[in-house]
Amino acid sequence: MSWLAVAKKDFRDAVQSRALWALLGVFVVVSTLMSYAYVELPEFFGGPTGPSVAGLIFFMAGSVSLFITLTAIVVCYKAIAGERELGSIKLLLALPHTRGEVLLGKVLGRAAVLVVAAAIGLGVGFGVGFALLGTIEVVSLVLFLLVTLLFTGVFAAIIVSLSATTGSTARATTLALGFFVVFELLWDFAPLAVVYVVNGFSLPQQMPDWVFLVSQLPPTSAYFSTLVAVLPESASAAGASTGAEGIDAVYATPEIGLVVLAFWLVVPLAVGYHRFTTADL
Amino acid sequence: MAAIELTGLTKRFDDVVAVDDLDLTIEEGEIFGFLGPNGAGKSTTIDILLDFIRPTEGTATVVGHDAQADSLAVRQRIGVLPDAYHTYDRLTGRQHVEFVVESKATETETDVDALLERVGILDAADRKSGGYSKGMRQRLVLAMALVGDPDLLILDEPSTGLDPNGAREMREIIQQENERGTTVFFSSHIMEQVEAICDRVAIINRGRLVAVDTVDGLRNSTEIGTTLHVSTAGVDDAALETVRGFDDVTSVSVDGDLLRVTLRGGGALKFDVLKALDSAGVSIEDFDVEESSLEDLFVRYTTDEQEVRA
Repeated sequence: MSWLAVAKKDFRDAVQSRALWALLGVFVVVSTLMSYAYVELPEFFGGPTGPSVAGLIFFMAGSVSLFITLTAIVVCYKAIAGERELGSIKLLLALPHTRGEVLLGKVLGRAAVLVVAAAIGLGVGFGVGFALLGTIEVVSLVLFLLVTLLFTGVFAAIIVSLSATTGSTARATTLALGFFVVFELLWDFAPLAVVYVVNGFSLPQQMPDWVFLVSQLPPTSAYFSTLVAVLPESASAAGASTGAEGIDAVYATPEIGLVVLAFWLVVPLAVGYHRFTTADL
Repeated sequence: MAAIELTGLTKRFDDVVAVDDLDLTIEEGEIFGFLGPNGAGKSTTIDILLDFIRPTEGTATVVGHDAQADSLAVRQRIGVLPDAYHTYDRLTGRQHVEFVVESKATETETDVDALLERVGILDAADRKSGGYSKGMRQRLVLAMALVGDPDLLILDEPSTGLDPNGAREMREIIQQENERGTTVFFSSHIMEQVEAICDRVAIINRGRLVAVDTVDGLRNSTEIGTTLHVSTAGVDDAALETVRGFDDVTSVSVDGDLLRVTLRGGGALKFDVLKALDSAGVSIEDFDVEESSLEDLFVRYTTDEQEVRA
């Protein structure tokens, strides 16, 4: 249970991050405005059937994932690299913790901080939304929150693992931001560019099937697909789609999102663990 | 059982040899001083004991467990004050100590307040450590090291950042712990600090062990124990021969009327030399005794070695 002591210590420490609370403040404002806009301005934001709880959930999903992604980077990028650079890791590892326990405790402690922040932000945003809608769908909401919890844990694991690969905060920053830029900003364009070039510098009428698979790789895409998989009725009611329809392949289903999230949970942790346990501190 | 046993311990970083074939045994119950100039390999050795870094060759055994294969068992039973550490700025002193208590899951109840009181920072216990002075942080980390009555204390440059009063209190705590049966292994680059409290001392330079002995043993083992400067009205060869005849006189030189005699060890020998000069008819006008401190010795050990290797 050594990881629990690390997680508790880390939670106490990271929850005091000013940047975290600043981001949360922004998110509370944004989620409230979005809820308001979605319910009160259905002609702009509501789905074809008007405002609904299902619609609100999918309307908010994008900003939720952006908030979690950014706060995870802010809260986690220094988790291990920072301790190594400053030397506090010497206090931590002079105690009877294995490096694996430290990594696990760090992921859980920082994820818990993100969950608290997300709970506050979502609580306010959805609270306003539900109050304005005058209705609530408990099952859908709980499922949404569970998937969001999973996504939060996965993203914390990714950034903490990246942090575990290096003893330099500068490099940890580069890795975390690089991950964001590659997978959240550039990823959608990369397969398009490849198809464009392969197709003789023009885009085909029909995208090849593999483009769908590649487009599912970013954690936020996987989060969205998982939401669609878990809340199929809400998704169709809200007009949310993964683009898997019309592709005849085993992987062309929203459930691919869960597989991708599992990938992002396991692989970075394995790499981070390996690099961290073999490093000279 | 030895508290620490190093066998052929070697650590290379790329082409730099930080620790070079170290063999060293620290017995249970000792206060052992690990001395060397900055960059001699002290911290690297300690980092290996804690499994922060892994040796290139050789082994380290700490409180009966292999420092690498069985590091968790080692760290359960020792207390550490590392070098170049950093405390968690956003956590209070009390939270730091509580974290250690939780991490070690000590069987006996730990009185956190009593520990903080003992190191003298109880009144700052609930302030964040980011606002502590260097000395307060050093006291805090000492309190953390004392949690759970460890069998062995490893202290890397423990008096760093402490004022003379704080350094004295640190020594007192080290001695109290030692009286309760705790082995103490501490490093320093200042001879004076180890002289006062150590049973034995090892001197390390450029990764190599250059001396291991008791403090007295070190003093006696060298030929530059005491230097006697004697101003005379004139010295003849017969008188010089008499002085050279002493077993423990290691060198005699004359510069005009000034006689310089070096003796092994200290004590009454210098008076015997002066008496012998007097009996030989030498008129002594003045004399001056220069005891070599361990500091000199330390400097000698570490600079000679450097010259040889350079």
